[in-house]
Amino acid sequence: MIELHNVTVQYQKDSPALSSISLNIPKGDFVFLTGPSGAGKSTLLKLVYGAVEPVRGHIVVDGQNLTRLPRKQIPYLRRNIGVVFQDFKLLNSRSVFDNVALTLEVLGWESKDIGKKVFHILKRLGIEHKKDVAPLRLSGGEQQRVALARALVNDPKILLADEPTGNLDDVNKDQILNIFREANIRGTTVLIASHDRRVLNSVHGRVVHLVKGLLQETDDVT
Amino acid sequence: MSHSRHTVRPPAVAKSSGGRLGYFTRKALGNLRNNRLVTLITICTITLALLIISLFMLIYVNMEGTIDQWSRKVAVTVYFDTEPLPQELAALKNRINGLPGTESVQYISRDEAYKIFRSRLKGQESLLEGVSADILPSSFEITLQKEFRSTDSVNLYVSRLKQVQGVGEVQYGEEWVKKFLTFFQFIRIIGLLIAGFLILAVLFIVSNTIKLTVLARHDELEILALVGATPFFIKAPFLIEGMVQGAVGAVVAVSILTAGYYSMLANAVNFLSFNPSAAGLTFLPLSHIAALIFGGVLLGFIGSLVSLKKLIAV
Repeated sequence: MIELHNVTVQYQKDSPALSSISLNIPKGDFVFLTGPSGAGKSTLLKLVYGAVEPVRGHIVVDGQNLTRLPRKQIPYLRRNIGVVFQDFKLLNSRSVFDNVALTLEVLGWESKDIGKKVFHILKRLGIEHKKDVAPLRLSGGEQQRVALARALVNDPKILLADEPTGNLDDVNKDQILNIFREANIRGTTVLIASHDRRVLNSVHGRVVHLVKGLLQETDDVT
Repeated sequence: MSHSRHTVRPPAVAKSSGGRLGYFTRKALGNLRNNRLVTLITICTITLALLIISLFMLIYVNMEGTIDQWSRKVAVTVYFDTEPLPQELAALKNRINGLPGTESVQYISRDEAYKIFRSRLKGQESLLEGVSADILPSSFEITLQKEFRSTDSVNLYVSRLKQVQGVGEVQYGEEWVKKFLTFFQFIRIIGLLIAGFLILAVLFIVSNTIKLTVLARHDELEILALVGATPFFIKAPFLIEGMVQGAVGAVVAVSILTAGYYSMLANAVNFLSFNPSAAGLTFLPLSHIAALIFGGVLLGFIGSLVSLKKLIAV
């Protein structure tokens, strides 16, 4: 589902953010991307959703070679990828429902279908009673669930998360990780960037270590 | 691996462009409501900008009117040594009317010339004692069409006029015409230059105000791009918002101008002795009002487009 072949990313001269990374994530995999701050975890995620271009190497996502994909095709690629951030990136001027509906509006869904689908995902994540509330009035765990609902509402093939539990307490962390696990069971390929050991130990998945832009090792944890 | 975009989802209903336009318009109006303060600031900026431009237009239109009035005095006079017979007069008048550039031809008989002369010497009529109308020649006063009032055109017209059978002595104030026209050409150029700078300044101010509103919603642009919105999908509501704000700003500006005109300037006969031949100032013609409103819509559209151009990178 995600293939990186000798990928190098450079923001500044002589200090690559990622150096000759090769990585293959098959369909349905659950992968943790670990490493200290500045190791290149976020950059690797950005590569997958087309926000960063490599200076060398190529990336294949869902069968499409991104290095050859025209920029105007990037929005269509992103419709298959859900992305979640540590700071949630929710629109505080809109309700929970509207935040989640955004994904389907972009796809051109009819409003009655949007209503059903959004309510369904909010219910699945246990926040349907908060649908008319502004995100700022929710707890951190609830906000992250809204962000997850927005990422999952159109059943993406890939789910990317950048430190998704960074702002959450332990109870909320477990609940959020459960949602990732469920999405994975439904067939979504999951890639989570995190330096939180607790997260790594709580879910079965493959672990990829990044240090200073270099791929160190990959192993499986149970 | 083959790429199949919609295999796992319920099929998205393809919307017609009309349906999309409806969606974008609803979105734009919703955004305007949700961001009331920013919307108000933008509309006020556009209103003020267009008010300045419309005031300038009002001055310009009246100045043009004045120039037109004054340039009517660029008249060519054909003098007759002897009073022509009525049928000769009619034939000659027809021939002159047939010349390109003739706007009107007015016959001034000796008696009328005497009356005019007398009225100009008001208070000193004694000077005319013993003088009869016979010493004054009868004449044709010819006014020229607007585009024939430049120095070169007048010269060309006079040379053509002299070739018309029956035309004798022709007089026109050559030097006076030249100075007059050069002066107003200069005023026109200055006016257009000021208008150009004004429009540039207004575009700059309005596009920067809109840029601030777009920047304030940068999160929204980022999230839309993240969930796979095309640049057009992101831009469309902003552009509609810009056009709505521009239209509202223009209508408010025109309303203020109209109210100001009818309450203060319309009846001010001597408010500015700017256009002495007309009573007070004339208002903008309908075509100018339409241009102002269209200009407002365009201003909002371009302002939004320029602001979005750099901010939306997929």
